[in-house]
This record gives sequence, structure tokens and C-alpha cells, in this order.
Amino acid sequence: MDFGWNAEQERFRATVRAFLKDNLPADWETQAEGPGSHKQTAFSRVFCAKLAEAGLLIPHWPKQWGGREADPWTAFILAEEMWMAGEPRGGQYMNVNWIGPTLMRYGSEAQQQRYIPPMARGEVIWCQGFSEPEAGSDLASLRTKAEKNGDTYVINGQKIWTSYAGDAETCFLLARTSPGKSGISIFLLPMDTPGIIVRQIPSVIGEGDIHEVFFDDVTLPETALLGQEGQAWEISRYSLQLERVGIPRFALASRMLHRAVGRLKQAGRFEGDAVTQAARANAACEAARLYNYSIIDQRARNLSTGPEASAARYCTVMAERAVGEFVVEHNADALAGADPMLLAHHQRAIVAGIASGAAEIQLNIIATEFLQLPREPR
Amino acid sequence: MDFQLSDDQSVLMTALDGLAERFQSKPTEHHGFVLFNEELEQELAQGEFFDIAIVPDFGAVSAAMAVEKLARLPYAAEIALSMLVRPHLRDGALPRPFAVVENGRPGRFVANAKTLLLVEGDQVSLAHPEAGDAEAVESIYAYPMGALTKQISATPLPADEAETVRTWLRVALAAEACGLIHGAIDSTVEHISVRKQFGRPIGTFQALRHRMAECATLAGGLRWLVLKAAATGDAGDAALAAFQAQDVGTRVCYETHQMLGAMGMTLEHPLHLWTYRIKALLSDLGGRGGQADAVGRTCFEADAS
Repeated sequence: MDFGWNAEQERFRATVRAFLKDNLPADWETQAEGPGSHKQTAFSRVFCAKLAEAGLLIPHWPKQWGGREADPWTAFILAEEMWMAGEPRGGQYMNVNWIGPTLMRYGSEAQQQRYIPPMARGEVIWCQGFSEPEAGSDLASLRTKAEKNGDTYVINGQKIWTSYAGDAETCFLLARTSPGKSGISIFLLPMDTPGIIVRQIPSVIGEGDIHEVFFDDVTLPETALLGQEGQAWEISRYSLQLERVGIPRFALASRMLHRAVGRLKQAGRFEGDAVTQAARANAACEAARLYNYSIIDQRARNLSTGPEASAARYCTVMAERAVGEFVVEHNADALAGADPMLLAHHQRAIVAGIASGAAEIQLNIIATEFLQLPREPR
Repeated sequence: MDFQLSDDQSVLMTALDGLAERFQSKPTEHHGFVLFNEELEQELAQGEFFDIAIVPDFGAVSAAMAVEKLARLPYAAEIALSMLVRPHLRDGALPRPFAVVENGRPGRFVANAKTLLLVEGDQVSLAHPEAGDAEAVESIYAYPMGALTKQISATPLPADEAETVRTWLRVALAAEACGLIHGAIDSTVEHISVRKQFGRPIGTFQALRHRMAECATLAGGLRWLVLKAAATGDAGDAALAAFQAQDVGTRVCYETHQMLGAMGMTLEHPLHLWTYRIKALLSDLGGRGGQADAVGRTCFEADAS
């Protein structure tokens, strides 16, 4: 066992940090806009194009699509550094983590040629049309319909909580082509297709992060179908596997904890309960860090990660919560204008246990697959 | 980063599994507070397992894994201090069993210890008790508890060695607690998988499943903190592992007893053999407050002050 980085990994991290230093505006960390805001989305197009030029956007992709087949550690170090820097890639992190690789596996040649190169150049924004008002954790109950009409599909329905929808060019859309779980299909939907209305929902997590999207007789060519009709569950499982560990939120949480402690020390208030709560948050961050690294280590060795990936993810949720609660209790002024960085982190941390699947779903997986407890009756 | 066992470590763990097999379950007729059997320690001594940490191919990480694995057994034995603290003393061959007396209060294995570490605040002293210096103490902890009968002569350790000892005491405490926590969770999972109420196993109710899953997740994270602390020997890593061990231990004691209901109150069921060892560890080195102070001193040094 070895809990340190090797020289190559340290070099790569230093390269990413140097790139960030050179390419983020001086006031980047004090900007209050959310990661899905128009301003940050516009910035991500410039930033990701530069990342791509520097070979830092898709190092883990196959050579055929412009990557260098870097190992999972490289991709994770990149993700840590980007997230710690406030995720200047905006919504494009989804492209490089799972949308691109999913298209490489399931897309038709025409779909791959149309969609993958712009992602590799860092030019495009996607949104994911999964959740609906009546289908959140119970995604299989979704109602948005895609009806076959000759050589087209006609989409009617509604999505909600959709991040980046306001600026996205394309939607990775789940819609029902027939009843039941096996009746869900995936469509690659250009967002400028007539009949789509996007409405931003004001939110506590910041501007531009969540939307509702309405589809009114949106007509698509049948070539927009990804894979086969009814293949959504299989494809989503593949995508989820790529995103199992998810965003390395513990890295920014840990950085913000140290920032919050630094503020307390400067004010001469790092004592008593603040020390205990800081220790608790620190232990939670480091446990999450190591648990996530253990999963990356398995992935790097092509070992199956299994339900422990859900445990790693849940550790991250606990770490975000511990740091968030520490800041609210001991750095209360941060949420009232005194520290934009702590505020921005607080807003991002709110979704830790909700976005990309509720934490309770992870707990169900851990109970059934890891602890082998008998299943709940349905 | 490498989170896998080396070949040598795999062989070692298999050997320990073989040795532990006889001690896997509580004898049905045993209804005591403590399950103690000298044979486990004797077999570990004969196999030279107490020296794992100083064998170059194994090291302290292997010792921590061994402590953690053996603490999952229902049997109490003086393993953690011998495997993780003794090798880090300047004289690494002091006679075992070891025990700690913290601020004069009763401690685990004190009555039979050949080497005592006396901890008073930041001071650590070393003593070798003679017959009559210590005696067994009745308690509901699932360790043989003992206390000194009088003040005994002890040699204070120099400050740097005392600091080293405190670090490894934290690693030992965390490794042992981690195994005990896993033992308590395993025992509880077994119970709620078969215990039926309202016509179905109570482990099918989400109110229990989620809490158990959270305990297991905390225990899994703790294990990595323990192994990292053993690998680095860093005071901050050790303090974090010890804090988390006591924090998660507190939670797991409550949750597991709650899920066992009245069954967990009996001495017929083995749950207390893990939880009442965990409880004996919760106050070590000042409890969570003590570990938090150490975390505060060591992990936030670089932050502005």
C-alpha cells in the first residue's frame, strides 16, 4: 500500500495548476455567478477550447477521438483540480466524463462524427434530460413521450431540474417509446428544434443551474435515436458506471474547510467546539478522499468496483455536509457577503446528496449489495 | 497510490485467518461480560505476529490490518499495543502484554501487563509492574480491566518519544476500534436479516437499512484513515483516525444496540463483546475532544493564524 503520488502524477497535477493560474481571470474566485450561469457558460467555451489545445480536456479519451488514453488517476487528478478551482469547465465536465464516452460506445457513426469532435474541441454545451416532475429517483416512471411517426419521432412532455439547459446546444434526452422500464429510449436532441421552451427556475444554488424544459410536438428524425428503442436503461447503466464516483467534491470541501479555519484563526476564534467540529469535518473529508481513491485504484487496475463505489460517493456527501455545517455555524458571515468563495462552495455543496441521484438511493444499494441485507418488498 | 495488498500481505492475512478460525464465535455456554482466552495471544506470540511491524516486507500497515482483523473476533486480547506501539518505542523489545494507565484510572489488561505506559496529560512514562502492583477490576466493559494498587516507579519518556508513543497509541486505538466496529456491524446485519416483525425481516425496513448502510460507509472510510495513519506514522493522520474511530464508534454502539432491541441487552447474544470494547476505547487520550485538539494542532498548521 502506498498513500502518496508518484512523480508523474505530481507533474501532471502541477501542469494542470499552472494552466489554471495562466488561464483563469484574476477575480475568478470571487465571482458570484453559479457554474450554470450564462457568464460562466460563455467562459467555459473559451476556457475548454484552450484546455483542449493544451491536451488537458480529454487526456483519458481514446486516441481515435483525440485523447491519449491516460489512466483513471490522470482523469481524477484533472477532475480534482478543476472542481477545486470552481469547475471552470462548467457543464462541459459531463461531455468529457460520460456523454462523449457513451456516444463512442452506443452512437451511430453519423452521431459520433457530428457530436464527438466539437466536444473534444471544448466548444459545446450539453444538458441531460432525465428528471421529470413525477420522475426523480423513480426515473423509470418518466412520462415524456416519443411517438414514432414515419421516419420521425414526435416528443411531448416535460423535464425539470435540468442543469445548463438555457445555453445547451444538445440534450441527452430520455423519453418513453413504449410502456414499462424497457420502453425508455435515448434521443440526441438539438435544443434549437422548434417546440422546445426552456424556463429557468430561480434557486438557492445560484443562477442558471436548474430549469424546466417543455416539449410540444418536437419533431426529430429517427437518426436522433441513440442505440435501439428501449435501450435507455442499458445505456444509462453504462453512463452511470463512468460517473459512479462522481465529482471529487471532497477536494473543494477540504480546501474550504482550511479556508474557514484560517478565517477563524485570524479572528482568534479557533477554539472549543470550533476545533471539534473542524476535526469532524476534516476526518470526513479525508475518509471520503481515501475511499474515492480506493475506487479509482480499482478502476485503474480494471477491477470491478461494485457497491463500494456507492459507499465512496456517500462518504463524499457526508464530507460536504460536515464542512457546510461547520461554515454555517462558525463562519456565519461568509454567507452574508464576507467570503464569496465560502458562499459559492456552500451553494454548490447543497446539491451533493441530490444531484446525479439521491443519496438515499446509494444507501439502498449499499444495504442490498454491500451488506447483503434482504431487499425491501415492492 | 496503491490500495491493494502486496503478495506478502495477502499471505500474512491468510495465515491470520487460519489462526483466527478457532476464535470466530462465542462459545454458546459463555454468558460473561468478557470473552478472554490466553490461547489467542499465545498463538500470536508463537507465530511471531507481534513483530509484524518491524518486518520490512510487512511494516506498520500490515500490523494495523492484523489488529483490525483480529478485533473483529469476539475474543478480547492484548494485540493492538503490542503490534503497533511496542515496535515504536526506543527499546522495541520490551516484555508484553502492554497496557495503558491514563490519569490513574482503570485500563485494559492492566492487571496482567508486563509493561505499562502511564499517560498523564502530555507526559508518558514507562513502568514494569511487579506482583501486587496491579489488580483486576470488575466492570461491564468487554475487556479484562485492571488498576494500579499503588504508585509505582516509572521512567518518564523524553518529549519526542512521548509524542511518538501518543501518535502510535492513536493508531492502535483506531485500528482496534475499526475492527470492533466492523464486528458489531456484521453481528447486527446477521440479526436484522433474520429477525422478523410485521411478517418480514426487520432489515427490509428502510428506517434500519439506511442507518446500517451509513454505519458501514463510515466504518469503511475509517479503515482507510487507519491504514493511511499506519503507513505515514504522521501525528495528524493518527489524530484524524482516532477522532473518527471514537466518533463512528459512538454512533455504531447506539445503532447496533437499537437494532438488536432486547436481544442486545442479553449476555447470550455476543453484540456486547464488540460494543463494550468500543465503549472502553471512547475515552482514550481525552476522547473526541482530545483527538480534536491534536487534529487542530497538526492538520491546520498551515492555515493562517
